Amino acid sequence: MHNFDFVKPATIADAVKALSAEGAQALSGGQTLTPTLKQRLAAPSVLVSLTGIAEMKGVCMGDDGLSIGAATTHATVAKEAAAHYPALAKLAGGIGDPAVRNRGTIGGSIANNDPAACYPAGVLGSGATVVTNRRKIAADDYFQGLFTTALEEGEIVTGVTFPIPQKAAYVKFNQPASRFALTGVFVAKFADGVRVAVTGASNDGVFRWTEAEKALSANFSASAVAGLTVSADGLIGDLHGTPAYRANLIKVLTKRAVEAAH
Amino acid sequence: MNPMIVEGQVHGGVGQGIGQALLENTSYDENGQLLTASYMDYAMPRADDVPFYTVDHSCVTPCTHNPLGVKGCGEAGAIGSPPAVVNAVIDALHRGGHTHVKHIDMPVSPARVWSAING
Repeated sequence: MHNFDFVKPATIADAVKALSAEGAQALSGGQTLTPTLKQRLAAPSVLVSLTGIAEMKGVCMGDDGLSIGAATTHATVAKEAAAHYPALAKLAGGIGDPAVRNRGTIGGSIANNDPAACYPAGVLGSGATVVTNRRKIAADDYFQGLFTTALEEGEIVTGVTFPIPQKAAYVKFNQPASRFALTGVFVAKFADGVRVAVTGASNDGVFRWTEAEKALSANFSASAVAGLTVSADGLIGDLHGTPAYRANLIKVLTKRAVEAAH
Repeated sequence: MNPMIVEGQVHGGVGQGIGQALLENTSYDENGQLLTASYMDYAMPRADDVPFYTVDHSCVTPCTHNPLGVKGCGEAGAIGSPPAVVNAVIDALHRGGHTHVKHIDMPVSPARVWSAING
């Protein structure tokens, strides 16, 4: 690990100010960044911790839906979102292992936008709103490809607001070693239609399977998906699965998510 | 003989063999670069990958080639479990109607089973 300075501001304003320094890097739960630093693959001059900011923590039900502070850990979401949005709580409770869930945060996950992470599927599948220190960004505009988001220089995620669907479920198939999502599917049924978000499968990161959304909006049952085919074009092929295997998983997991939705 | 140590040896050996049959895989790309260089890609068996065990001591067959009649037990589990697991997978596929599948290379990952069914 290279040398760096460490600051832990108590307000969003102080964090934004600290991040304007040359070579500054935001640090949330550190579940991706810390291993990267250990391998000397990153060398920030100053790490700005976002976990000491009270206004960026907590789970709160309001008129717009369920608001979750960006620095809230997966373990807290698993526990505190359960009564309001069980599918999201289950997603959070299935990330990594207990050590990861007690350090990793929702804001860190979606700011990183790993193509195999679970939260991007939950945020996109819910049609959630990503709140930053500057603006509100619809999930459809926020995720822009592999490790790429709408966040600009000096912009930090401060929270995410989820509308509550009538029914929803997240089902993932684990990559056997890392237990990231080899493919994961989040299905959410709202009064005005169904959203289906897929993670782990595409070279472009999380995406919506619009064909399934259309079929499920007309008929919310696993059989509605049975006649659809998923193209393997642009899907990830690696040691753990070919593009064709992932294409099959998308369909299988979508059916399972529809059956599990409640 | 300490029965608890024997059981522990068998548990460990069976776990190792299940890992070999289903998970463990050292893989290189075409340039010789190791693809499974960390536990993020090299899958080791973990507690929830193995079943609960009952080790049966009822069939006692002393060794005839040494005065104490003792046998080593360290590798027994690791030797028996890979063929048992792979044969169980092939058997399940045949019972499910996929009788064209005669063989799948270890580790028998879900992706390889799917390819064998659809291949």
